[in-house]
Amino acid sequence: MNEQEIIDITNKVFEESFEIEKERLKPEAHIFTDLGLDSLDIVDLVAELQKSFGVSIRNEEKVRDIRTLQDVYGFISAIKKDNE
Amino acid sequence: MNYFKIFFLNLYSYTLFLVYSALFIPVLILVVLVLSIFMDRRGTMRRVRRAIGWWGRGITLIPFPLIRVCYEDRFRDNPGEPYIYVCNHRSTSDGFLMSVLPIEAVQVVNIWPFRIPVIGFFARIAGYLNVRMMSPEEFFGKALTLLNQNVSIIFFPEGTRATGKKMGNFHSAAFRLALKSRVSIVPLCITGNETIMPKGSLVLRPGTVRVRRLPAITWSEYRDLNVYKLKNRVREILGRELALMESGA
Repeated sequence: MNEQEIIDITNKVFEESFEIEKERLKPEAHIFTDLGLDSLDIVDLVAELQKSFGVSIRNEEKVRDIRTLQDVYGFISAIKKDNE
Repeated sequence: MNYFKIFFLNLYSYTLFLVYSALFIPVLILVVLVLSIFMDRRGTMRRVRRAIGWWGRGITLIPFPLIRVCYEDRFRDNPGEPYIYVCNHRSTSDGFLMSVLPIEAVQVVNIWPFRIPVIGFFARIAGYLNVRMMSPEEFFGKALTLLNQNVSIIFFPEGTRATGKKMGNFHSAAFRLALKSRVSIVPLCITGNETIMPKGSLVLRPGTVRVRRLPAITWSEYRDLNVYKLKNRVREILGRELALMESGA
């Protein structure tokens, strides 16, 4: 899976599951302040990412470090690499 | 003249606020102590919350006529039925304005109101919920218990006061609670208070605050929506009505 595919799938998760408009999905967008997610939503985000990418996300510390959409892309990319 | 008016408004409002609270709080503590001897906890809490409503109403009346609060009720509730109120948030005074609602309710508040001497005292004894100091399980457990006791819950889902007239992003707790409890959601619009006590200032300015209560969104209307669709739907309703209110409607 290349980087663009990761970006597309992640953006689709934010669009379809979190009802966030496409125009707001910029790599530098802060997932809390710009996209409006809160700590409760992170559980849903992890579940949706697991389902969409077919991965298991267990490293909670790394999830807590996620701030921007770019961090989400990087996080998924790292998991995908670990799984290969 | 304007400076004199603002000075006079602040002088008499803050003085009366302190005097009124200094008289009201000891009486309230006494009432709570007496009630707790003769009534069960539920009965005591109901009366305590009603008394806090009176205190809040008194606070909103103190600056009259230089500051007026107009409550527009566009929805008649069923007595005894709890609701989840969702309000926009522009000013520190929003919490006091909720006393216009003729209901038993608790507010979901941030950490800082608990630290303010008088307000924190009332927030604690009324059982207000602090979403930041509780685990999600504890928060939803307490909130569901309150709704089961027919106590309504008031949310300011922006979490923090907006810096202007544009609403901030909404947190999801109110909508998760609605989906769990199937309780109707009542959107509540507040305008005018952002100029009376702007963010970052404690100086009161003359003006009119409008609180408009919109028709409830019932479980049958939102049952097919997920948390995020519901959150956006309620935010849209509030945004649309606020724009109408700003234009004088």
